[in-house]
Amino acid sequence: MNARTIRVATDVGGTFTDLVYFETDHATGRQTVRTAKSDTTPPNFEQGVLNVLDKAGVDPAEIAFFAHGTTVVINALTERKGAKTALITTSGFRDILEIARGNRPDFFNLKYEKPAPFVPRHLRREVPGRIAYTGEERTPLDLSVLPAILADYRAEGVEAIAVCLLHAYAAPRHEEAVVAEIRRLWPEVSVVASHQITREWREYERSSTTVLSAYVQPVASRYLGRLESGLGSKDFKGQLYVMQSNCGVDSLTATREIPITMVESGPASGFWGAAELGRIIGEPNVLALDIGGTTAKCSLIENGQVKIMTDYWIERDRRSSGYPIMVPVVDLVEIGNGGGSIAWVDDFGKLHVGPKSAGAMPGPAGYGRGGTEATTTDANLALGRIDKDYFCGGTIAADMVAVDGALAKLATKLGISPIEAARGIVRIANNNMINALKLVSLNRGYDPRDFTLVAFGGGGGMHAVALASELGMKKVVIPRGASVFSAWGMMMSDLRRDYFVTKLIEDGVGHPEALASLIGEAKARALAQFAAEGVAADRVKLVPFIKCRYQNQEHAVEVAYEGDMVDAAGIAAMIDRFHAAYEREYTYRLDAPVEIVGLHLVASAEVGKLEINPLPVTDATLDTAIKGSRAVDYALDGIHQATIYDLEKLEPGMSFTGPAVLEDPGTTVVILPGNRVSIDAYGNTHIELAA
Amino acid sequence: MTSLRHDPVTFDIIQNSLQAISDEMFAAMRKTSMSAVIYEVLDMGTGICAANGEIASSGAGIPAFIGVLDKAAKAVIRKHPIATIHPGDIFATNDPFYGGVTHLNDMVLVMPVFVEGEIVAWTANIAHWNDVGGMVPGSMSTDATTIFQEGIRVPAIKLVEKGVASQAVIDLLTVNSRLPAFLKGDLWAAIAAVRIGDKRILDLVKKYGKDTFVTAMNHFMDYGEQVTLKALKDLPKGVFPFAEEQDNGLIYKVSIEITDDAFIVDLADNPDQTLSPSNASRDGVTVAAQMAIKAVTDVAAPANGGSFRPLVLKTRPGSVFDAQEPAAHGFYYEVEIRVFDLILRCLAPHLGDRLSAGSFASICGTVIGGPHPDTGRHYTIVEPEIGGWGGMLGRDGNSAIFSGFHGETFNCPAEVAEARYGLFVEQLALNPEEGGEGEWRGGKGIRLDYRVRADGNFLTCGYTRSRILPWGMEGGRDGTPNYIDVIKTDGSQKRYAFATGVALNEGDIVRVVTGNGGGYGDPAKRDRAAILDDIKNGYLSPARARDVYGVEV
Repeated sequence: MNARTIRVATDVGGTFTDLVYFETDHATGRQTVRTAKSDTTPPNFEQGVLNVLDKAGVDPAEIAFFAHGTTVVINALTERKGAKTALITTSGFRDILEIARGNRPDFFNLKYEKPAPFVPRHLRREVPGRIAYTGEERTPLDLSVLPAILADYRAEGVEAIAVCLLHAYAAPRHEEAVVAEIRRLWPEVSVVASHQITREWREYERSSTTVLSAYVQPVASRYLGRLESGLGSKDFKGQLYVMQSNCGVDSLTATREIPITMVESGPASGFWGAAELGRIIGEPNVLALDIGGTTAKCSLIENGQVKIMTDYWIERDRRSSGYPIMVPVVDLVEIGNGGGSIAWVDDFGKLHVGPKSAGAMPGPAGYGRGGTEATTTDANLALGRIDKDYFCGGTIAADMVAVDGALAKLATKLGISPIEAARGIVRIANNNMINALKLVSLNRGYDPRDFTLVAFGGGGGMHAVALASELGMKKVVIPRGASVFSAWGMMMSDLRRDYFVTKLIEDGVGHPEALASLIGEAKARALAQFAAEGVAADRVKLVPFIKCRYQNQEHAVEVAYEGDMVDAAGIAAMIDRFHAAYEREYTYRLDAPVEIVGLHLVASAEVGKLEINPLPVTDATLDTAIKGSRAVDYALDGIHQATIYDLEKLEPGMSFTGPAVLEDPGTTVVILPGNRVSIDAYGNTHIELAA
Repeated sequence: MTSLRHDPVTFDIIQNSLQAISDEMFAAMRKTSMSAVIYEVLDMGTGICAANGEIASSGAGIPAFIGVLDKAAKAVIRKHPIATIHPGDIFATNDPFYGGVTHLNDMVLVMPVFVEGEIVAWTANIAHWNDVGGMVPGSMSTDATTIFQEGIRVPAIKLVEKGVASQAVIDLLTVNSRLPAFLKGDLWAAIAAVRIGDKRILDLVKKYGKDTFVTAMNHFMDYGEQVTLKALKDLPKGVFPFAEEQDNGLIYKVSIEITDDAFIVDLADNPDQTLSPSNASRDGVTVAAQMAIKAVTDVAAPANGGSFRPLVLKTRPGSVFDAQEPAAHGFYYEVEIRVFDLILRCLAPHLGDRLSAGSFASICGTVIGGPHPDTGRHYTIVEPEIGGWGGMLGRDGNSAIFSGFHGETFNCPAEVAEARYGLFVEQLALNPEEGGEGEWRGGKGIRLDYRVRADGNFLTCGYTRSRILPWGMEGGRDGTPNYIDVIKTDGSQKRYAFATGVALNEGDIVRVVTGNGGGYGDPAKRDRAAILDDIKNGYLSPARARDVYGVEV
């Protein structure tokens, strides 16, 4: 065994490629952390990764565990830079992709514009043959039409083909046959079938998912291939994993095949980090909040479990119906409210914050790069919540003239003073985030007061205490290194796959063999996939959740199936838990039959994730961490003289009471009067809210 | 002295919270409802009304339901002396003559929110129940001549007293339904939703105080009014009369006057109410006019009672737009959408690029039922259909989308339909019929084939714009009609628009066809590249391109 283990996580963002380096010395248990940043290098993103390794002085040959997160998939989608894609579907259904679901969120707007399909109609072609919802064949598949279709595709310059046939979730054999025939006739073309990505019903959502996966596959595969060879050329011999949207990592090989699963990997690693942090510090119920420059995202973790769902959409908002991607994604709510969100006044004198952001250029007015519009960050500067003399860790001299000018402009429109405008911005921004936090808690039947708020990202600490206080929560935790917490989460991830399968079982108790074979087949599939990656069955943890609902309802509730034996008694016990879970969420239960709609199997294996050790403690006293004090405006809670602490000098065991502000180069934590702050053994900041 | 909490920011926060509460009620109700027409079609709405019943915020799948809840709350206020209303009470109405606005299938629940012994708001919701009794399964018959044939009437009565649900009322409702289990599930979903709203409003009042809460809500209404008034300033002023023949031969007339501060819709000069279910209440027609004023003023701003204050509506009691007891209302929505479309068609030529050519503009309510051959249970589909919208200045119309009366409504996936219903879905394609050409063409409707899997099924439908087509504008061609063809196994075929209980047997195909929208502008001016693209994608045949666009390929 090596004297030390080196783990590295890199995260390719829009502007910067971040690196976190974690070295564990096995003799002393001492853990060293380094971070580095370099420019993202489109379109050859792998170059930025190699650059940042270089900049951090990391020798790839020494890395044991390398986790990688990238926005290459979401970028290809939003910038429409994927492959020329075609769709093959069942006779009678080529227009499904264009018809979509007919909905219109912007519902008073008679000039609404439906999103255009990713595949034009002439590239959407049909094959005869039908499978019934039971999985039985109704009409045999006719492959004789394929050569002519493929000839047209070649002539049109098609690069990727999606195959999505009706009821393939129940029985994929027609899709398998179509894919095999395409591979035989045209081996070079990129092809993917819906059953390889999802085994759930709803043909539009599955078609859209398959099409978008095909669309990004060549781009993502090329990128991952270049990353692998780039690292290989520097003698990297460790394990390379890619962050996924379901809070797990997956192997490079599997990801290259179905890259669409990376679509929301950025937020996923942070939320996983929050769940792991909760496990380490004994807080299993967590509301996780990630506040960045342009957005805030939140997710709920119950009993240490992140919630993984498959109703994810891109480009969906109040104005557009967007595009569904039915892959496992952590349940999150994202709003356009971050540090750079612009405050504005509408025609009727109402103040709004976001979703428009000042971005990196010009950025908030306080950056002094020509920004003239007030942002949340500017309001925080004006209120003394952010130290104007330690802005961005002292790397930028805050342009307070620009801040005052931007706020004055807004204040005039509102007929209030600039300071009141600044307070207004903070209160509106907080309110927007509170509504987002309510969406993942109250709207799902959870009381936020039963949860601890874990806040991270550049702006998490700035707002967390006020948000928690508003929601009646008792405790906030700001992780150590909150601004690079997502990368930390990546290093804590397991190799994880979520299998969702639609299967109607009306009478589970009467037919336990139906559920037994559903679970059995999914487990066998998971184990075979892990085995193919060299992970033995005894290392794989399998947790089946069953989707149950009252007969005739649509919405299903997931309930864990407990025990290894699938029998009538076990199913009856599961149905009892369904009634209880349903009642907790919806305040009543029904005396109606309960049916099974499908399975969600979570398969995971630890693949060398980080075990975190306590920090060393010196004999430094709290005084050494105090930088001074200043007047801080707490909006509705008044102006107070707050003590300023250097976060990097706070050590385990230290504690004190607010009003206070904690600062390190990437994070500012605002503590209200009366809040009790303590630093835990791992350097995380715990804040107990005054009752 | 101005209290600290009476500032504009606090008002904004309270107003945002009202929206969040309506959304939360909506989410809860959607998840727990039994019927696909509620959770999938989202034939439902939720909202919060002020103490006087005026609508303050709404969560809705259907914009046409936003203006319903306030009328129900006001009916409860009118009927029940204040001293008889207690905390924990919940009222129910489905009757258009008692604030129910629509038809008996739509049940509205209204709950008072009490603070210190005083009502500060009402929470409310509405949803389409599959069957409330009456002369036919599904309760809506095209043959009904009075409301008594359309189900059980619930005239703004108390359903829950001080938190205790009346078993008598629940028994009465369930015994009158052919689908009692669905009814019970949908009823509890609705009760849970108004209770969640009540709880959240109380939290809000506790935090900000009653006075601030009430002031903020009133302020919000004033804001809605200002938005509409500001938009009215930009509209052309004058009196715009218009008349249009309907599929059934009646002539509907409207005269719209736009002034600086009012939008006056005069529908007084119209036919008498009919001995059919194609009637609407004045409340119902009000909703149609409210949606029209919203569509031509500010579509992005929130809609509340204030937004509609500048609307003045004139109707004649006893007319089809102000039907009196005991008029049947089953297909009220086709009357309402005709009024909505009439107003749009009246204004379109005068408003530049604000409005489009004619859309398929029908709910196309389709009911198919019968035995499910796999489960042996009875199934019923109740669904609206998607169709084509009209072209507009600068852009082709949307294809395959719900009418302007629907919004965040979803069609049923074929895979779900085949499992749930005793049918095969043989195709869902864009409507290939010719029509709707123009410089900017209409969007395509659909062709949807259901193949019946057992004997003893039935079809009921109510489609308008089946004879009088979606209109072309500025030289664009008219669109195509909405209809259903029933194709029997012997090859015979019959067309329907309004029908009840059409018998269907194994192997029969129900072909739903919805209209292509009307075209905007002279086809000769259409961009050649767009024409070639339409041909390449099969939206247009080369022959039709030659005939209408004069383009040879």
